[in-house]
Amino acid sequence: MALVKLKEFCIPDKPEQVDACVAKYGENALILAGGSFIHGLEARGLLSEVEALVDIRKLGFAGVTAAAGGLHIGAMTTFAQLEQLPELGSAPWLGALKDALTYPPMQIKNAATVGGCLAAACPFFDIPTALLALDCKLSTNKAGAKREMNLADLFSGLFENSLEPGELIIEAKLAKPAGRAASAFIKLEGTANDLAIVNAAAYIALDGSGQCQEARITLGGGVGDNVVRSSSAEQVLLGQKLTEELLQRAADAVGQDIQPMADHRASAAYRLAMAKVFTKRALSLALSRLN
Amino acid sequence: MKQLIALEVNGDMHEIAVEADATLLSVLRDNLGLIGTKRGCDSGGCGCCTVHIDGKAMYSCMMYALSAQGRKITTIEGLGSAEKLDPVQDAFVKEGAVQCGYCTCGMIMTAKQLLHDNPHPVEEAIRHGIAGNLCRCTGYHKIVEAIKTAAGN
Repeated sequence: MALVKLKEFCIPDKPEQVDACVAKYGENALILAGGSFIHGLEARGLLSEVEALVDIRKLGFAGVTAAAGGLHIGAMTTFAQLEQLPELGSAPWLGALKDALTYPPMQIKNAATVGGCLAAACPFFDIPTALLALDCKLSTNKAGAKREMNLADLFSGLFENSLEPGELIIEAKLAKPAGRAASAFIKLEGTANDLAIVNAAAYIALDGSGQCQEARITLGGGVGDNVVRSSSAEQVLLGQKLTEELLQRAADAVGQDIQPMADHRASAAYRLAMAKVFTKRALSLALSRLN
Repeated sequence: MKQLIALEVNGDMHEIAVEADATLLSVLRDNLGLIGTKRGCDSGGCGCCTVHIDGKAMYSCMMYALSAQGRKITTIEGLGSAEKLDPVQDAFVKEGAVQCGYCTCGMIMTAKQLLHDNPHPVEEAIRHGIAGNLCRCTGYHKIVEAIKTAAGN
């Protein structure tokens, strides 16, 4: 992988060494987690200024803990490690994450990390779509200073995140819903090992009378610069009894919130059409998990 | 500027001078002469560069050689021997699961982890398990049959 300006490859044992490397190279220091998207960044010309790679594998931050009924997912947890979590098989509200983890091939699951996948701010990834539907929060750390942020606030543009140089995602946190809730994720892909043409996740929670109390609908796969949340679709569902007809109306509403792009994978018109189809399927699957 | 690193490959330690941005794939092939691991797409899409890192199948084209320090790397050359093939290699030969052969080494390394994790996979699990490996010749049928044979199914 040709990094023409690369001067240093740091493999810190301690967070302070990350700070030292970043202090030296600033924005031209690239944090390396699983490394499975380096080619994607390089192919888009985004690594031409990189002077230092900082491989943070030895810093820890891996593993998942159950906390207050929710999950704290260490940023360096690989997809393969996350997939082993017993809760994924038994908790309908985590359905979207479980679904999204079924798509990557073994080689990617063994390498890719949750934190790296989020920080890449790639609009074609699957896990961010699922985690945004689950209202994920992040804990970050920069030179000992911690901060909390909503996942939505991490994304600041195409392949751009809002982290400061040297600020690392430490954990992705999911809070367990109080009531009846379920989620689902579906991806449209050209081959079994490709980025999404479109993906969609749906989270729904029902009140005691069976009406929709909470809804989050998210889409990825080139329907915006980052993963998109469709409030227009959510508004269709809130306070309503969820019928097939209503789910279709909600799915049709996602067109108001997305800006599909055209590339070698699909035209914008095809992405728009499939965004509606896959939103409907994700909603139906989530609803089926509540019955 | 080159750096001196130590890599453990197939149980042997190697000291090698590498560029900081050299991939594990390029070091295996170009420095160590382990050319069983193939360079295909060189971008994590075809699977023919699959090796095991600490027992897990990964794309060696997507890992920097410097990141592989301190980890146990196994390539196709680390399975079996010319006299006694690994059971998965043997099954690929018996089932004729090789046509041009370019995908074969990566396919076998993936099959090894697949069978380690799930010793008796159903066909769907096999097909899902090898989804990260492309074969442009066989249509996959004989590869799937070979993995079934290796599993004793």
